[in-house]
Amino acid sequence: MKKRILSVLLCLVMTMSLMSACSKKSADTSSEGESSSGTEAGMTQGKNNHVDGGTDLSLWTFQELHVGFYTEMADVWNEKNPDKPINITVTTGESHSLHQKLLVACQAGEGTPDIADIEVGYYGSFMKDNYLLPINDVVEPYEDEVVMSRVEMYGDNEGNWYGADFHLGASVTYYNMDIMNEAGVDPASIVTWDDYVEAGKVVKEKTGKPMCAVESTDLFLPQLMMLEKKTQYVTDDGQPNIANDDHAEVIDYIRMMIDEGICEIAPGGFFHAEEWYGHLNDGGVASISMPLWYMGRFTDYCGDLEGKIGIYEIPVWNEGDTREVLQGGTGTSVLKFTEQEDLAKEFLAFCKLSEEGCTYEWEVLGFDPIRTSLWDDPAITENPDNKYLKYFTTNPFDILKKNGTDLTAPNISGAYSATYSVLVSTTYTNAFENATDQDAKELLETEQSTIIYEE
Amino acid sequence: MKKKGVFSRFLYSQKVAPYVFVLPFVLTFLIFFAYPVISTIYMSFCKVSGGETVFIGLKNYKTLTNPVFIKALKNSMFYMVVTCAIMIPIPMILATMLNSRHMKGKGFYRSVMFIPALTSVVVAGIVFRLMFGEVSGSFMNQILGLFGHDPLVWLRRPFTVWIVLFALCIWRWTGVNMMYYLSGLQQIPKDLYESADIDGAGRFQQFRYITLPLLKPTTIYVLTISIFGGLAMFTESYLIFNGNNSPNNVGTTIVGYLYRVGLQQNNIGIGSAIGVVLLIIVLLLNVIQLALNGTFKKGE
Amino acid sequence: MKKKKNTQTILLVIFFSVLALITLLPLLLLFVSSFRPGAELIRYGLNFNIDFANANIDTYRLLFSGQNNYFIWYKNSLVITVVQVFLALLLSAFVGYGFAMYDFKFKNLIFAGVLIVMMIPTEVIILPLYQLIIKLGIMDNMWGIMLPYLVIPMLIFFFRQYLSGIPRDFLDAARVDGCSEYGIFARIMVPLMKPSFAAMGIYQGMQSWNNFLWPMIVIRSQEKITLPVGLQSLLSPYGNNYDILIAGSCFAIVPILILFICFQSYFIEGMTAGGVKG
Repeated sequence: MKKRILSVLLCLVMTMSLMSACSKKSADTSSEGESSSGTEAGMTQGKNNHVDGGTDLSLWTFQELHVGFYTEMADVWNEKNPDKPINITVTTGESHSLHQKLLVACQAGEGTPDIADIEVGYYGSFMKDNYLLPINDVVEPYEDEVVMSRVEMYGDNEGNWYGADFHLGASVTYYNMDIMNEAGVDPASIVTWDDYVEAGKVVKEKTGKPMCAVESTDLFLPQLMMLEKKTQYVTDDGQPNIANDDHAEVIDYIRMMIDEGICEIAPGGFFHAEEWYGHLNDGGVASISMPLWYMGRFTDYCGDLEGKIGIYEIPVWNEGDTREVLQGGTGTSVLKFTEQEDLAKEFLAFCKLSEEGCTYEWEVLGFDPIRTSLWDDPAITENPDNKYLKYFTTNPFDILKKNGTDLTAPNISGAYSATYSVLVSTTYTNAFENATDQDAKELLETEQSTIIYEE
Repeated sequence: MKKKGVFSRFLYSQKVAPYVFVLPFVLTFLIFFAYPVISTIYMSFCKVSGGETVFIGLKNYKTLTNPVFIKALKNSMFYMVVTCAIMIPIPMILATMLNSRHMKGKGFYRSVMFIPALTSVVVAGIVFRLMFGEVSGSFMNQILGLFGHDPLVWLRRPFTVWIVLFALCIWRWTGVNMMYYLSGLQQIPKDLYESADIDGAGRFQQFRYITLPLLKPTTIYVLTISIFGGLAMFTESYLIFNGNNSPNNVGTTIVGYLYRVGLQQNNIGIGSAIGVVLLIIVLLLNVIQLALNGTFKKGE
Repeated sequence: MKKKKNTQTILLVIFFSVLALITLLPLLLLFVSSFRPGAELIRYGLNFNIDFANANIDTYRLLFSGQNNYFIWYKNSLVITVVQVFLALLLSAFVGYGFAMYDFKFKNLIFAGVLIVMMIPTEVIILPLYQLIIKLGIMDNMWGIMLPYLVIPMLIFFFRQYLSGIPRDFLDAARVDGCSEYGIFARIMVPLMKPSFAAMGIYQGMQSWNNFLWPMIVIRSQEKITLPVGLQSLLSPYGNNYDILIAGSCFAIVPILILFICFQSYFIEGMTAGGVKG
């Protein structure tokens, strides 16, 4: 039986090989035709409701949730702009490879989409080679209504802005109120990092649980502490600058918290690992400082914590400092190879900065609105059906309103991409896990020397 | 003599036919091997960005003196040396044992040992990554627990990372290497052992003086593939660390670094320089191996 | 004396049974775990704790629901494997035949080329190759994956060895009968090479099916990627796809396992080719 199957297979191969020995060329072309027609039916693409005569726009994103956002926004756009309708095709893919493929397409100067979501860690590479179009003209109409530091972040020294984000990305501290109550500590009483450490010691003593966690393969906590000191990972002209005294102080401070037992290394290495979500959901840690867009991770991955998490302002170094900074993000940009420059830019600004766009982002995606008018709208801030407001015990808008709009955003220009990759792959692992005895400044100097950056 | 028929033209002449036969290789060689090799050597002296290529001398190679590349080099070398040290003796001994006269059900065990080689390295990597997870419930931590040991953070510590990588390598390749040795063993004439028995040689002596020397061609082959496989290791590390960034580069290999610098960070010039370094290492190893084999042959 | 031999047999069988068990363990673990929700596995660990009350085939139901790309990747891998194996066998046999049956000028030089390509890991030239693929305009295309790897030195080497056992007089006889040089190859040699095609087909098939780095570089579109690349992308913490990851990994092994059980000897010969004759 086995033999027979095999001989049938072999006969097939034989006949095919004989045929193609005569006409290899025709065999090649026919199978090529097949393959391209087979892949026409892309599965992970999203489209809006088709409008006849609409202009085709293409968009790439690495986050599947964003597909629904863009297609729905396109429908709204078409309703409001019947004179210039669009048909948008949104393609998703895995983050690393998508960014890399985008870079390749840019270098080749072809095959790029009109618009693309670019994660903050990769943004510098695209800006540095001028692959993006300035969007100042379409942002300016919204200028007074949005937090501009979030827009300026995706800009250069000449005053050009290239990207618009989904959210403000204001950092806050999420406290597990069960643990805090058990320890008898009121998070509202914590103002400075020193207060935080003292509170942490109490929490550790009363509950045995660590106050916070730090990532070894990402940078949120140290970056937050640096931004509070107004220190950046790159200099104003884009050179890597991680070996500075402020950074060393931050590392020493976190090391001190680890030594005191009030800070742990996040299981899984970063705050997006499944191991970490499990740990968090099981009440393994008392607090975590992350941007407001992290709310969605709580609602999606930590069902057991519903009604137990309070959102408070981040601790600061000195009393009186602004208790809010901006972190993370995705700069959506128009690629310079587009043939629909004006339309792509207008649509982008509409999605990200308009009332409709920001409302969708908040209600569905749980992103803190970049648009300040929403902060005062009770229909938004007191919406009893909003799943985020329901989940958390405190209202995030209180923090946004209190700290205003003059916020420090990370400088992501120049060497940021290269610096970021060193920070998350080696620097923090070394600082907090492997070389905990090495002098912080010395360690940072070694790390800085491994950053490969060419202007 | 009508042997070529009417259609006999240039192409069909017996003189030209051989060249037509090897043409696919020659074309592939020129387009997809020779040209890229030359191009990578050239680019390693250049800065390549945005379609422009500017000659910058040895600057790319100077950049490679950074600690990460040195570490990647060390990692690849270490991986190669240890895999050679493990993946030759163990399969050889297993094959000898399996080949023993007293063994029953050889075919069955042979097949079972071979199964891991069938699984794609991606699937194997996923399983090992999860088996060696850092949570206390992961399989390996449960085993540690049986011995009263605390859970380990396997994938983020320099030492345990190597255990995972070697475990993966042993698991996947023992069966295949064993198979090489089994077929090597088949070619050793049985009567050699019989006469050794008569001469009163013990099992160990037989292994030392008959099996080992006669398996030398197999060993050389296994050594060769282990060397190049080890040097070019990438996928295993990529899977185990879920991407190309292992904590503190504990698992970054030469190819991993090439991929990171050349493709992820888009420094084609420096990436090419890494490629050239790898090329030189491979050529050196080839020369050494050829020299050793050559002299051995003369000696015998 | 007899008794001693029996104990030896028992010891050997026990030893290899334990070894076989250890060998199969990771796959068993994967199989058992595929009946648990994927996210839970990563949170609490991949292990043999089976909660029979909660074990279910939801992950497989999801896998076969068609709501994901899994079977598109499967199909892509299958198409690439079949096409690449077919073309690689044909072209490499063609070339190997040329080397085995003719003497011609530069033969040794060209054959040295075969050996050189065999010796140098393809990763060395991955950057220029990638630029070349861009220039040729076959990025994000399955031909970009296959084109550089259609004439495989390993196969050429093997076929040359295999054919060198066939006396050349055989060819002259065919020529007298009016066969052209290519006719001889197609009508006489190809059938003769059957067994080697089977083994080499499996060798090349495993290579194509499991190829990871190169397809990852060449393919951009989610719907064109191959199974290994697709599975890897499911490991991403941003996608929440762990259910498909585990069940999909399991299901990726099954067909090969079945083929292996049916055509064991060809598998073993194919995957260990070169070790014996090389």
